[in-house]
Amino acid sequence: MVLYLKALALFYRSVLPFTLLLSGLLLVAARFYGGTWPPPVAPLLFQKLLTFPAVIYLQAQFRPHQYWFYRNLHLSPRQLWGGVIAADTLLLLLVLLVARFLS
Amino acid sequence: MPKLETESWVLEADGIQVQFGERRILSDIYLRVQTGQVVGLLGRNGCGKSTLLQTIFGGRHVADASVRVNRRRVVPAYREPGLLNYLPQVPLLPPRLTVAEAARLLRVDARQALAAFPELLTQLARPVGELSGGTARLVQVLLLLHAHTCFSLFDEPFTGVMPVHIEQLADLIRQTKARKGILLTDHRYAEVLPLCDVVYLLHGGRLEQLPPNPVPALRDRGYLAE
Repeated sequence: MVLYLKALALFYRSVLPFTLLLSGLLLVAARFYGGTWPPPVAPLLFQKLLTFPAVIYLQAQFRPHQYWFYRNLHLSPRQLWGGVIAADTLLLLLVLLVARFLS
Repeated sequence: MPKLETESWVLEADGIQVQFGERRILSDIYLRVQTGQVVGLLGRNGCGKSTLLQTIFGGRHVADASVRVNRRRVVPAYREPGLLNYLPQVPLLPPRLTVAEAARLLRVDARQALAAFPELLTQLARPVGELSGGTARLVQVLLLLHAHTCFSLFDEPFTGVMPVHIEQLADLIRQTKARKGILLTDHRYAEVLPLCDVVYLLHGGRLEQLPPNPVPALRDRGYLAE
């Protein structure tokens, strides 16, 4: 489990710029084009989940060899993305909860 | 996790058929590697050597592929800790990872793995991306070679490595085969052939085991100069 978390942290760091950018764009769109601020949590998280297929596809196109190292740690791409999706969605949820708390 | 150094392990692969469009890459494959052996996989560029290694490792899904260790089916093999590792042709380690961090993740004692090349010990704290191509390649091979697995699959382990280091690396591979089976492919036949206990030739999608002295067969088929 410790190895999985360490490997996941390493993998998450490598995709974080893309996922952060998409989260930022969703928040900006919700802030300026949405009806209310802070936005309702469930629709935004749903939109966030919809962005992952694009991120996974782009990673496969631009970094097709990145998974060999993780396979040598006995981890499949599915395990890595499962962890990233959970962590990244949780991060956005935390941001939304903080925004809700502050408003 | 398999118990190492106490048992003999046999890796077998067959039933692997791969086709890219109309071109059949792999069709008639039976390959066997066992503890104590260095097995060479030779063939021309683009003949499917890397595809075969990736399929055995489990990183490439091929329907009906059968990979067995001691007659037990292990597909995808990489999911089983301690069974095998794989060095692809491309750089393996994330560039921002230091050599020491990579060794820790692979559960390898970095100092022990690099001991035969003392100059590499000074690179432990450096990110892999800052090493020269040849040094990074050497580090990757050494880490996987020293990892506690029953088998190592190496795709062009000597690429970019200095000739003086290749000799040392070949010696290390010879020593390591006492505890693991090694399957490797490389175009440096002069270095690979003396290292191998068994040589397979991949040609036209078919895998053929060459005789104990493979040189005449390779010469006849134009793989070695007269």
